[in-house]
Amino acid sequence: MIKAIFYKEWLKTRLLWFIAVVSHVGLVVYLLLSLRSTLLSHGTVETWATMIGRDTLMIGRLTYLPLLTGVILSLCQWLPEMVQKRIRLTLHLPIDYTRSVTAMLLFGFIGLSVLFMLDASLLAVVEQRWLPRELVWRIFLTCLPWYIAGLLGYSLAAWCILEPQWRGRCFNMLISVPLIALCFLTTQPACYIYMFPWLIALLLVATILPLYSVYRFKLGKQ
Amino acid sequence: MRSFKNSISAIKYLIIALAVILLVWLLPAFYELLTPRTDKMPFVVYSCLDSTFIRFETNENKQVQYIDFKGREFTKSEADSLLPLFAFRQLVAEGRLPDSLYGVALTPKMIQQNSFHFKTSLKQLNKPAVGLYTMIESASGQVDLQLPPDVFRLTDEGLEFIDCETNTVNRAKSLSFSRELTKQGFKFPVHLIWGNGTTRKEYDNGFLLTDAEEHLFQLKMVKGMPWVRKIKDNGKNGCYRRIFTIEPANRQLIGLAVSSDDRLWAIRSDATMQRIGDFHMPMSASAKEKMVNTITIVGDLFHWTITLYTTTDTRYYAVDARTFEQIACEIVPDPAEPLSRRLMRYLLPIRLRFTSWHSQLIYPNINDD
Repeated sequence: MIKAIFYKEWLKTRLLWFIAVVSHVGLVVYLLLSLRSTLLSHGTVETWATMIGRDTLMIGRLTYLPLLTGVILSLCQWLPEMVQKRIRLTLHLPIDYTRSVTAMLLFGFIGLSVLFMLDASLLAVVEQRWLPRELVWRIFLTCLPWYIAGLLGYSLAAWCILEPQWRGRCFNMLISVPLIALCFLTTQPACYIYMFPWLIALLLVATILPLYSVYRFKLGKQ
Repeated sequence: MRSFKNSISAIKYLIIALAVILLVWLLPAFYELLTPRTDKMPFVVYSCLDSTFIRFETNENKQVQYIDFKGREFTKSEADSLLPLFAFRQLVAEGRLPDSLYGVALTPKMIQQNSFHFKTSLKQLNKPAVGLYTMIESASGQVDLQLPPDVFRLTDEGLEFIDCETNTVNRAKSLSFSRELTKQGFKFPVHLIWGNGTTRKEYDNGFLLTDAEEHLFQLKMVKGMPWVRKIKDNGKNGCYRRIFTIEPANRQLIGLAVSSDDRLWAIRSDATMQRIGDFHMPMSASAKEKMVNTITIVGDLFHWTITLYTTTDTRYYAVDARTFEQIACEIVPDPAEPLSRRLMRYLLPIRLRFTSWHSQLIYPNINDD
């Protein structure tokens, strides 16, 4: 049954996945080419010195892409369920509805995690040819809160969309926006090092919130 | 079924907890946005002629006032005369620069060469280090300093130079620098390190670094080879809290240090250290009650004016530029908190922040105003 749910979600979102992979890989390739071009035109010595001395990592364009992907995936996955009330069918499947909804959420989380890992690995593998490990690690630490924002955006958007009442939806949005903003508090590189445990705890809490919205839907709140 | 209902009520409590956390974060943030503080830090210089500190304050009409701590107000022309080494360009333009001061003949070049500025703050210092450093050639024979073809990292056994073009370790150079340090008595690993990796300076003093036994060394690259010397600590107590390499135009100093007993030290170019003044400057988070947030030093031929902005007051010290003996001190308590801020403490007794006034790191902290 879980396999079938995964397949259903794949059919629903495959076009989005295609666009997401193309845009993520495209942007990462652009960032790498842009770094290569800077290394060639300005010289490796000057580029390293700028990256070391001026807190510039040349990855700023990546900042909001994971969040955008997470929120759009959530919209594509959950909005049709709510607009056409297809979620009722899911809730009436011969398995516990928490399991079926969890499977749908898991599909999104696994997909996003794989996409984000693909991004980060591509960046790290290519950059380590040109940059010392300290700078590659610094770039990873700088990107990590943005990727966490992507996963947070996915689950919090699902929480808002699945909420059956507009009043509740507005309340959820009021909570979700500042929670996501927690991942974008500074532009300085690698400054989230002490914040990661808190962001991961927040992500764990955020993953179970959509189940609460589905519970309220099942209760018949309209 | 019962456990499921318990889980649902647990989720409800989690949502309420999230809402409360956001409120204690966002309400103070919005309150501070609505009631911005307009604290101005006046610029202060010690007058060697009048033996007094002169404050440069901007009034409500955006005009600069020159006032001393006794309340005497000066005109711009009077202030320039009282601060001949600070305002020498203006005095030269007006033909009013004294020929000599305290028996020392004055020339604009000499005044400029002995002027010295230094500023740092906790916010600048408390940020994640990259862990890579640039060793500039100190004796290239060229007027302009050049970036080297490599950078170095610190390992437990020594320094490791990485060639920028190939991104590989230059073993010969790494070994040469590590061996020279060891030969001079340096015990790895490096504890503290500071250098100015920029080429926008007149000359290079290399790096100051402390070893595992808290001894201070200077390391430079001279004609591609390591140049190391141990700094004599002249009665300094305990270990080093902060070290700074400086490159003043008169080349008489190579650095500044803050010892663990919160004293400020000057490191002379003859590798000796001398305590500056008789004051403490706590720069650690454990001394939150009276922590130095920002330090500025404005030095001239005869005196240094040291300003310490602490969490409760601003402290001005004048020290002799040659002996570093303290000759004047003025402590100005911070003005009373505006009513809006006091009100905030009552209205919002718990204030959560993720940014901090003394660090660039992001982490949750409570009531750290």
